Amino acid sequence: MNNFFSAISAGFMPVMAAVIIGYGFFKKAPVYDLFIEGAKDGLKTAVEILPFMIGIYIAVNGLTVSGFLDFIYIVFEPAFRLARIPVEILPLIFLRAISGSGSFIILQNILEIAGPDSFAGRAACSMSGGCETVIYVLALYFGVTHVKKMRHALAGGLIGYFTGIAVSLVICSIL
Amino acid sequence: MMNYIWACILLVSLAYSALTGRLGAFAQAMMNSSSDAVTFIISLAGVMAMWSGLMEIAEKTGLIKKISKVLIPLTALLFPGQRDPETISCIIMSFMSNIFGTGNSSTVFALRTMEKLDAQNHFGDTASNDMCTFAVVNMAFAPVVPVVTIQLREELGSSDPYSIVLPCLIASAATVIVSVAACKIMERRF
Repeated sequence: MNNFFSAISAGFMPVMAAVIIGYGFFKKAPVYDLFIEGAKDGLKTAVEILPFMIGIYIAVNGLTVSGFLDFIYIVFEPAFRLARIPVEILPLIFLRAISGSGSFIILQNILEIAGPDSFAGRAACSMSGGCETVIYVLALYFGVTHVKKMRHALAGGLIGYFTGIAVSLVICSIL
Repeated sequence: MMNYIWACILLVSLAYSALTGRLGAFAQAMMNSSSDAVTFIISLAGVMAMWSGLMEIAEKTGLIKKISKVLIPLTALLFPGQRDPETISCIIMSFMSNIFGTGNSSTVFALRTMEKLDAQNHFGDTASNDMCTFAVVNMAFAPVVPVVTIQLREELGSSDPYSIVLPCLIASAATVIVSVAACKIMERRF
């Protein structure tokens, strides 16, 4: 079954490319010239977002290295024990909002310690499904615009984020 | 907003690593992450140029206009009033690549979308409703099948690696629905 999904995932790009190039070819458009023209714009965007990426990377890695997560762990641990939520997933809950690659390592740790079929393991898998982290989206997406006031983007993102965590915990305790 | 978030994260990390005697590691992390960011962008730049090139073809040949006519009913729910064919197709492409789990492509389309929304917003300094909704939905989106997570579970000897597909789907569906609802409510107040 995994092969099937991997195939869909892998087939997405070639199919899109075939449709676009095929359509352009039949319309007798200068497809190669257009491709080069567009690719130039793409590279410009890549260079433009580089400063934002450096900014996020420094903040995210700095926070991870400083060991601040240990502190959060100590502060929230009693509350988690009281609510009978497995403490193992605590670091994941906080790191997931800021770093995708960092949270994957933590997910791996949880699965190794608690086991992939335990409640903690399943809940951790379920809540780590998101693609983009909140801080990454805010910095990068709004980085390419002229926006200074993001209004409700952060609040909306956080509401969704904690919904995902709460629902994961509930679902994994039922199913 | 970003000014506060960024300063807070860095100051807290600095203070905490000073307290725990990890300033050396912190300095090292600052240097390493700067060059890591450049490495990441270089690898992203290729994908970005490729998709931008393909989208340029699709746009100039009129393919995007045709497709977006079909898609308007879908996007109208999230982005009422959005009529620009190119923006609509970028939004859909970004969502689709997220769902199929091709993260880097999704970022490319997301950034194109934001640029177009910025132009519609007359390059103003306050975010439009569409910008906020789009950003929040993209934070909430998860791949339909979390292939990497399933692989990890398989490697670690799970008895049923696929058992998390349904919980993941339910969790991400709930996240998207709640996020969108929150946006629609908040956009009237802020």
